[in-house]
Amino acid sequence: MTDTTPTLASGDPQRPRAQLVATGFACAACSMMMAGALGLYMARRHASGPHPGHDWLNGLAVPNPQLVYALLTLVASMVTAHWALWASRRRDSAHAWTAIATTLVLGLGFINMVMYSLNRMGLEIGAGEYQNLAFATTGLALAIVVVGLFYLGLMGLRSLGGSVGQQGSTALGAAVFFWDFAVLAWAVTWYTVYVVK
Amino acid sequence: MSENSTATTSRGVPVEDPTPFGWLTTTDHKRIGRLFIVSSMLFLVVGIFLDLLVRLDLTSATDFVSLGRDGFAQGFTFSREALTLLFLIPAFLGVAIYMVPLQIGAPNLAFPRAATASFWAWKVSAVVLIGAYIGNGGPYGGWANGVDLHLLALSGLVISLLLGSIAVATTVMTMRSPGLYLDTTPPFAWSALVSASMLVVSLPVLLGQIGILYIDHRYGRVFLAGNYGIWERIDWIHRTPQLFIYVVPILGVTAEIVLATAKRRVFEPLAMYFTLGLVGLFGFGAWANFSVTGEGADIIDGLEGVVLVGLYGGALLGTAGLLGLLGLALIQNRKMPKVSTSLLAALGAGTLILFGALYGLIGAATDWLEIAGRGNDGNPQLRMTTWVTGQQSVLIYGAGLLGLLAAIHWWAPKIWGRQLNDLLGILNFVVIGVGALLAFLGPALSGLFTEQPDFVYGDPNATAIYASWVDDTGAETFSAIGVAGVVILLGGVGLLLLNLLISVGMKKGIEADEDPWAAQSPEWMLPSPPPIGEPDQLPTLVSGTPLLDAAEAEEAAV
Repeated sequence: MTDTTPTLASGDPQRPRAQLVATGFACAACSMMMAGALGLYMARRHASGPHPGHDWLNGLAVPNPQLVYALLTLVASMVTAHWALWASRRRDSAHAWTAIATTLVLGLGFINMVMYSLNRMGLEIGAGEYQNLAFATTGLALAIVVVGLFYLGLMGLRSLGGSVGQQGSTALGAAVFFWDFAVLAWAVTWYTVYVVK
Repeated sequence: MSENSTATTSRGVPVEDPTPFGWLTTTDHKRIGRLFIVSSMLFLVVGIFLDLLVRLDLTSATDFVSLGRDGFAQGFTFSREALTLLFLIPAFLGVAIYMVPLQIGAPNLAFPRAATASFWAWKVSAVVLIGAYIGNGGPYGGWANGVDLHLLALSGLVISLLLGSIAVATTVMTMRSPGLYLDTTPPFAWSALVSASMLVVSLPVLLGQIGILYIDHRYGRVFLAGNYGIWERIDWIHRTPQLFIYVVPILGVTAEIVLATAKRRVFEPLAMYFTLGLVGLFGFGAWANFSVTGEGADIIDGLEGVVLVGLYGGALLGTAGLLGLLGLALIQNRKMPKVSTSLLAALGAGTLILFGALYGLIGAATDWLEIAGRGNDGNPQLRMTTWVTGQQSVLIYGAGLLGLLAAIHWWAPKIWGRQLNDLLGILNFVVIGVGALLAFLGPALSGLFTEQPDFVYGDPNATAIYASWVDDTGAETFSAIGVAGVVILLGGVGLLLLNLLISVGMKKGIEADEDPWAAQSPEWMLPSPPPIGEPDQLPTLVSGTPLLDAAEAEEAAV
């Protein structure tokens, strides 16, 4: 590469993918966080005694229908999030706004359904090993969903607040990517803690 | 710290506030980097001092001579946390935050505000962590709310370091000058990417664990034995192989300095990037044994032993390969390289990482194969003895401090605009080298010959009062050797701070021009130090060695 000369030339910052790459790193970090928490959950579950036979749930009954509906709500919100992205790439701000608002409403609805389900289940913190582990792992997964909601709302406002352009679509694309990950993180947590138990 | 001149900007980027208040709100990577470097050095002093007190306690097999019965366990845990989370990781994160944008021709970090938030969140969390310990709230502490506070502070430290790591990794991935590809980036930038990426996929495991530990400790303590179960699950972040992830940037510093001194490109660039990646990659997975299974203190055997031996072997292979490539570059030069503090310290740090990996491999193989009855008949495996402290001393004190010494001496002109005193630097190298050697030898020999326990998770006092475990006469002497080493290391850190005070603070150091070392990477094309704020003009790069390219082109033209 001997043609290189160390002269200083005007340089403009090129960072078209920065947000997407950073979001990828954040997803990797969150997935390892969940891996650590669920790994500990499974290790404790394994160490708790023979299965079946041992009452790992301490008499609790998991409200399966409600939690499945909650998951389906979240899956539906993935569709609306991608609708928002699709619309923003076509500079259709009316559709994009509608889709983002729908996603946020579905996300809030999901949180409400999960809280209702846990109340119905009688999951009381400090009442037993399963309760504490379920509370902590569910809390971490819900935290990821809440961060995803904020991220989506913020990027929606930023990208659609001014003009709907390529830059805005990239930012929204990163937020939608994180939202997809948040749904996946919840699905894995739900399957581990409430289905396989 | 000398202040840089303020740059004007034509792109609407906010101009940096040059007043002291500007340090609080800065979004300039150079200021954030300096804040990380200086703060981590101050926390290092605290960490070494606590380690000294812990080692003093180990010089008597029958009594606590410094920290006392209640303070010993917390002194031990705090010194480990301080040396990794408050020194080793943030110090080299700081160097990366400062140097990486300059090395890849970027105007700033990808997310400068995130980096600022990272520093201040780290700083506040560090203060809260120290406050929790002062209030008797660390692991094994008697203040329950303080233990919770300690866990929250630990989460704050991890989240802030992750934020900084993501900013660095994203910068290398997306903000390189057009034409500068990943396989042509300077070695330090590449090592920063490797280390940051591996931190991003390993430290969050601790976060997940802390989430559960916090809930359980605060509400009911159902499966934790009081707060005794905490340390056993988080200790992996202070041990090998996880430590290899933290030292990858040091290998990058070594490569940078050796190649620049040899005035050569590496023989096979891809091999260099591969070996650096290998060391980082083989640091991954340490968490599985400790944090998930909670079996950190148990005997390793079977698959566990194979995996550990494999991880150490991989790190050894990577380090040896890199040092081999750098050695070839030195030989190719056919001239005796100019001896300087940075070169000596860089070579010393690289060699110690190699030694650390070899030492780990020997220890893991001995435990796994039950050599000399390790793990049988009540004999503790080497990994349960102060053999482990020896390895930590090699990697944190030896490689970490020498790596920092090398980086600071090498890049001081770029960071502060002045060269540090080289004579004082060489003395500093000798002092740190001797200190690290003794700090390693004491616990290593004690672990090998007297089986002195490293730390007994269920009964930390048994670590210090170990008369029932071993023939203590030798252990006391070996511990005293370790104490001497740590005292010398404290002197070494003091010398480094003194050099900074004299050369930079009192402005006695030689004022540096753009490229005082006749180096080759892109940061040496910029003024020393570069003005604060985002520059109007940036080098357009197509290679990680533009100055060497230019010199060769000039030579060819003549």
